[in-house]
Amino acid sequence: MLRLRATFEKTGRAKYISHLDLNRCMLRVFRRSKLPVWYTEGFNPHPYYSFALALSLGFESRCEIMDFNITDDNMPLEEIRDRLNAVMPEGMGIVDIAVQQKKITAIAKAEYSFSLVSEDSAELFEAVRKLTEQPEILIEKKTKKGIKTVDLKPDTEILGCELNGGSVDMVMRLPAGTQTNYNPMLFVEALKKSCSVPFETANIRRTKILCENNEKFS
Amino acid sequence: MNLKEKIEKHLLEVQKPSRYIGGEVGSIIKDKSKVDVRFAFCFPDTYDIGMSHIGMKILYSLKNSRENFWCERCFAPDEDFEKIMRENGIPLYALESLDPIKDFDFIGFTMQYELSYTNVLNMLDLAEIPVFAKDRTNELTQIVVAGGPCVCNPEPLADFFDLFILGEGEEVNLELMDLYNEMKKQGADRMDFLRKAAQIEGVYVPRFYEFSYKEDGVIEGVTVSENAPKTVKKRIIKDFDKVFYPENFVVPFTEIVHDRVSVEVLRGCIRGCRFCQAGFIYRPFREKTPDTIYKETKCLCENTGYDEVSLASLSTSDHSEIDEMLTKLIDYTAGERINLSLPSLRVDNFSESLLEKIKRVRKSGLTFAAEGGTQRLRDVINKNVTEEEIMNTCRIAFEGGYSSVKLYFMMGLPTETDEDIVGIAELAQRILDLFYSIENRPKGRSPQISVSCATFVPKPFTPFQFEPQDTRSEVERKQKLLLDSVKSKKIKVSYHDPNVSLLEAVLAKGDRRLCKVIYTAWKMGCKFDSWSEHFKFDTWLEAFEKCGADPSFYANRRLEFDEILPWDHLDYLVSKDFFIRENKTAHKSVTTPNCRQRCSGCGVNKAVGRECFC
Repeated sequence: MLRLRATFEKTGRAKYISHLDLNRCMLRVFRRSKLPVWYTEGFNPHPYYSFALALSLGFESRCEIMDFNITDDNMPLEEIRDRLNAVMPEGMGIVDIAVQQKKITAIAKAEYSFSLVSEDSAELFEAVRKLTEQPEILIEKKTKKGIKTVDLKPDTEILGCELNGGSVDMVMRLPAGTQTNYNPMLFVEALKKSCSVPFETANIRRTKILCENNEKFS
Repeated sequence: MNLKEKIEKHLLEVQKPSRYIGGEVGSIIKDKSKVDVRFAFCFPDTYDIGMSHIGMKILYSLKNSRENFWCERCFAPDEDFEKIMRENGIPLYALESLDPIKDFDFIGFTMQYELSYTNVLNMLDLAEIPVFAKDRTNELTQIVVAGGPCVCNPEPLADFFDLFILGEGEEVNLELMDLYNEMKKQGADRMDFLRKAAQIEGVYVPRFYEFSYKEDGVIEGVTVSENAPKTVKKRIIKDFDKVFYPENFVVPFTEIVHDRVSVEVLRGCIRGCRFCQAGFIYRPFREKTPDTIYKETKCLCENTGYDEVSLASLSTSDHSEIDEMLTKLIDYTAGERINLSLPSLRVDNFSESLLEKIKRVRKSGLTFAAEGGTQRLRDVINKNVTEEEIMNTCRIAFEGGYSSVKLYFMMGLPTETDEDIVGIAELAQRILDLFYSIENRPKGRSPQISVSCATFVPKPFTPFQFEPQDTRSEVERKQKLLLDSVKSKKIKVSYHDPNVSLLEAVLAKGDRRLCKVIYTAWKMGCKFDSWSEHFKFDTWLEAFEKCGADPSFYANRRLEFDEILPWDHLDYLVSKDFFIRENKTAHKSVTTPNCRQRCSGCGVNKAVGRECFC
């Protein structure tokens, strides 16, 4: 059995597919592809596949991870990729496919890029800078146990913050995976609270999924 | 900012945004510069409901199979998105091109239920298309058309549409689009086109028909102009086994009501239940061969990736080769791990071997439409099912491991007495008793008998079209009587809102004077009337009053046999004489055999030019 890890993209109109719907969508992709995917052996057998991280509705990405198994050991990986790509919806496709290396639990961080669009971008830029220089960035986060206040500051790495005409373009590395998961929108929320400049968030993308040592997860 | 950007700017603010942006697998994109005729297929309800409609799937694929036609989908936006559309000047658009539907050649609605009428007006308004046909320009564009079962009496909608398509749409839709294409090239205008279109069989252009009324409100006569036919005949497909069927469906991202492959196995019905409109307007009975059904199922499953199939028909077990069909299908679906579901099974021919087959694929609840609580009433409505058959079927089901049964009934049926209502509760009780009397019944599970009781709505083109509907207070009294007659907690009763049923009856049997009422109700905020959270009955009553119309004139009055009915100029191939005959037979509590047993002379064979069964 081939234990495979696909890196796939979810861009354009596909960004409006919710995580729940993505599950159903992939099931049909596998069925259309007629690939010999491994089925679970329970009472209600279904093709086994799992997503490493959920991607928020409206986010784009070219680095999403999905694991699945193929029962035919001799099938070339390019063929598997091509057969899946032939039946993918618009905006979705396999970028890369390889044998699983690390455990899913090795995922520790993810990188995001997004633009903060404002008519008053210079002032917004200033507000972003001020926020990032604060000793702590407190935000209320919904967790399974209820709402708790977290400090984003220690775990947020700002990799880029540039003023480009009408927008402030950000690149940010945040904790991701089974332990702690920060959504970049938490930072945006904190910014909204800390400044009075009206702005909109656009082009939110997840750009990398990383291990603890910042190595690419594969 | 183009329309797509405008839409996307707000899309993340609404529930289930994937409904509004297209891009699904199976959706068809064409180059609009290379297309002659563009058709916006509109379903007057939300995406989740409309996308489940099999007729849309058929006509969408059919029209798009022609290179020079492009058919796109359009649905009613939910409240949250409608608000955004109106606030930001986003006109109603089609999901494939994201172009506004006001730029289309045809704007076609499918009318599946009466309570979607106000949504049509709302959608036209959102599309920035004049709601009334008379207010549209004479230019040849924006032809607003409708088809579907409700257009067998399209009069309450007459003022809003340029034309109606009666009967089965597979052929006539293409004929209409071809005519349009030809006339467009000749530089014709809307009126030229409508005059010519009215000559196509199955096309009804309401503006060429004028009604006059007597003092008591009853129709006096119909004047036909522009050489349009005196009666408009519905269209049917003669060779049903060869009729176009899609090889692919649009596969939605979000979950829809019927999220599966559905394959049509037969059209029409042999039964002739006297309340059932579908049983008459879809005649004659025609079926597909098991081989065709199998091929269509396989093809659709492979192309869509669905792992569930359902067979669509009015009564699947009436297929003459049901055993062969199911054997073939189950061999395929079981091997491919596909679930097969079989709605529309009748009580009387539910055999043990059939149940065995179904059990191989699924184990959900069983649903039977008994319709009447006593044998006398079931004879009146021609539901040719005996209590013995109901009991037998339930016994087979219980012994086969089922513990819950759902029963459908109607109340307010012609000749109904309190005894019939109490009979519903008694029948449910006897089924429950039967469960406990069976030795090898499913152990450890509590039985549940669900009784779902609808209110009878008299419909055009049925023997009961002449019948009055029970008044609201009478329906409410009967509902209470039913509740009081149920003695066990294991029998669960549910029933319909009588106000909804009243409005349904009015709109189903209404005439052209109701256009004003529908318009007024919509203006006052009525839409999504079939959604209980949106239904505003008081507003509807106010609209009736404002327009000087009386709902009870339409719903609660017995129509005379010799009265001119609003749908008398439309020919659905079953004769009015037959309906009168059947109505009289009903009042004698006498049944009529099904079409396979004996032809009852409804007239459809004469109209088609051949016998239904040889």
